[in-house]
Amino acid sequence: MSADIALNENKTKPPKKEKYYVQTIRRVLKNKLAVFGIIIIFIQVILAIFAPLLVNYGPYVQDLSQTKLGIGAEGHFLGTDNYGRDMWSRLVYGARISLIVGLAAVGIGLIGGIALGLISGYYKKLDGIIMRIVDLLFAFPGILLAMLIIAMLGTSLVNVVIAISIWSIPGCARIVRGSVLSVKKQEYILAMKSVGASDIRIIFKHILPNCTAPIIVFATMRMATAILSTAALSFLGLGAQPPTPEWGAMIAAGQDFMWDAPHMSIIPGIAIMLTVFAFNVVGDGLRDALDPNMNLDM
Amino acid sequence: MKNNKVLFLASFLLIIIVFVAGCSEESSGGDAESNTTQEITYASTSDVVGLSPIDTNDSVSSNATFQIYETLFIKDPETMEIQPLLAESYETPDDNTWEIKLKEDITFHDGTPFNAEAVKYTFEQIKDPERAAPRASLLAPIDTIEVKDEYTVVLKTKEPYGPMLSALSHTNAAIVSPTADKEGDINKEPVGTGPFTFVEWAEGAHVTLEKNEDYWREPAQLDKVTFKVVPESSTAISMLETGEVQFLDALPSDQLPRIESLNDVEVQKSEGTRVSYLGFNMEKEPFNELEFRQAIAYGVNQEAYVEQLNGLGIFNESIIGPKVFGYNEEASEATYSYDKEKAEQMIEENGYSGQSITLLAANRDNYMKMAEIVQSQLTEIGLDVQIETMEWGTFLDTTRKGNYEMTFLGWSNSTADGSELLYPNLHTDNINASNYSRYNNEEFDKLVEESRMSVDQDYRKEKLHEANLMAIEDAPWIVMEHGMVTAAYHTSVEGLIVDPTGSWSLYNVSRK
Repeated sequence: MSADIALNENKTKPPKKEKYYVQTIRRVLKNKLAVFGIIIIFIQVILAIFAPLLVNYGPYVQDLSQTKLGIGAEGHFLGTDNYGRDMWSRLVYGARISLIVGLAAVGIGLIGGIALGLISGYYKKLDGIIMRIVDLLFAFPGILLAMLIIAMLGTSLVNVVIAISIWSIPGCARIVRGSVLSVKKQEYILAMKSVGASDIRIIFKHILPNCTAPIIVFATMRMATAILSTAALSFLGLGAQPPTPEWGAMIAAGQDFMWDAPHMSIIPGIAIMLTVFAFNVVGDGLRDALDPNMNLDM
Repeated sequence: MKNNKVLFLASFLLIIIVFVAGCSEESSGGDAESNTTQEITYASTSDVVGLSPIDTNDSVSSNATFQIYETLFIKDPETMEIQPLLAESYETPDDNTWEIKLKEDITFHDGTPFNAEAVKYTFEQIKDPERAAPRASLLAPIDTIEVKDEYTVVLKTKEPYGPMLSALSHTNAAIVSPTADKEGDINKEPVGTGPFTFVEWAEGAHVTLEKNEDYWREPAQLDKVTFKVVPESSTAISMLETGEVQFLDALPSDQLPRIESLNDVEVQKSEGTRVSYLGFNMEKEPFNELEFRQAIAYGVNQEAYVEQLNGLGIFNESIIGPKVFGYNEEASEATYSYDKEKAEQMIEENGYSGQSITLLAANRDNYMKMAEIVQSQLTEIGLDVQIETMEWGTFLDTTRKGNYEMTFLGWSNSTADGSELLYPNLHTDNINASNYSRYNNEEFDKLVEESRMSVDQDYRKEKLHEANLMAIEDAPWIVMEHGMVTAAYHTSVEGLIVDPTGSWSLYNVSRK
């Protein structure tokens, strides 16, 4: 029954916000896979923040006399790459890059997507044109769009962020628009309008807070895509430039050494896989927890 | 929902299992090939551009045309001495005249007789501006080509042309059948005098040749030769391992340990004429300042780089390499050898500390490797170096226009003559063409011209040495390495010799 209450509270102006979030968190924590994901993300965040304290060597420090050491080598427990750089150090600094790029790309994408979604959902006149532009963006396969943008702007991590955020906009805009359309029809919005509240006030104080659930889910899932796309673009040589310890670039660099030093590609490969997996299951968990209908079915 | 997750986990595990299994898969076979048919398959990473020596100049095409066509002179693959091939002998009555006697009773694959007319026709085609032969520059100094009699051709130059014999032994100066060229497209259906005749070219897949039974010397031992296109070098190595391919060349240094570990595969390595260098754009600041170039020259440790090449590189800082005409050992000592402290001091004293530099690198394994190592070394001496990578075509375009600060390039010297290195790469005439460093030094130009315009080989050698020393001191280039030429082939292949320019003939090759 608690779900029912949450549902009602959600639909009306929620007076006890805290309780709602506490409940959501509790439901997420019931999902074991999501907990696993949260732990992995937490570890990654810790690694990224405290990177300099966790490594003995800088990620760029070459030692050409100690190249391609395997896992478990003395002083380098994850081995070294073909320039004798410490793999652990590069992995940890790579986590930093992945998270920063992911957050930045998703953040910018969300700002653009939410703005377009709100305008398009609220103002019927603009809906058609904005959604057609979104459709146009959707028509491109995502990675192709990103490659096109990078081809125009040049290769660098900053441009990867721009490319991925542009690519995130249409998905976000459509989701937000959908929520706005359903929230807009609620009686309390009509009530706000009838008492003469301004559009801005209605949009930001009443509609947007009620769209947060799908946005949070979208953002979490999008992190996974963004990290994967950054790695993919760097793998293709369009993203991070050497010697940046970006995971995708590290896999590409290790390709030639799959025979004598497979760890050079496998370690960053597993890191990407775990991170993407973690964000996906957390996103899944959040969706289950935030979507009351789903909850009632269970 | 639950089911979905189980499925997700299961597929996740499956991916890991497949991946791990894929990694630990042991090589199988290696001696699958036990037949002794006289056939050989060679794999290259790209397709031939064409099969006409006049109209191509890339090494893949040259490898194929070298088996079909022949040149007037040829370099001995081991000693690099120039010997007559289609020519019988030559005389130089004066500095500007080359009278070449040709061998008699040779016919092209299509039955056309080989004679002075054929030579005249070929050379005129190479020089014809309308045909725009990529290596027209080889014969550019030749003014007139006269047929003195059926088997004597006289080449006249305006100025003495020292590297004449080197030019005439270049694969792109091979003699083609005039009939075939006039009536058809020798770029698609080549006709030469060589030990192998053309059978088929399936674009993007392979070129097939077979033995020329009517060859003017003893016919070749191989019956059939296939040039196969295998874009991935690691795939080509696997094919060598399974016996699908018997011969590879230009082996990537990173793959060398794997190739050497294969059973029944022999690896040939010898010093080559290729030089790879770190080049400055001499028209940009601060790269136009000698102190800055010197500081970088002191700060780059080429030896450490060469050590990473698994033996596929030679450390020698002379611009003219040991296998190139004009090399003198003195030059290897006249350089700015690695001295980190001195480099740091020069950076400090001249106020270059923290100078930010963009190091442009083509997206190729060897150049990327140089870039990463040099970037790290220059960071250590107090410079701020960023690497920018580019796809090969874009890279060549960008560097030719001079839109870069510092980059890596190489020069495969297919004539093995120092003039053919210094003139195209560092002479003022070739700024905006092949002089990527935009080096401009009148004194140097004069020395290079002198080396080209003399037929006295000792004098030429001396001038080249002087020019070499001057360029080393001026440091428009910092030599990274002198290349090795390499080949890997099945143990059943006999008689294969790769010469220092990287070319090879299958004439003496057989399988046992």
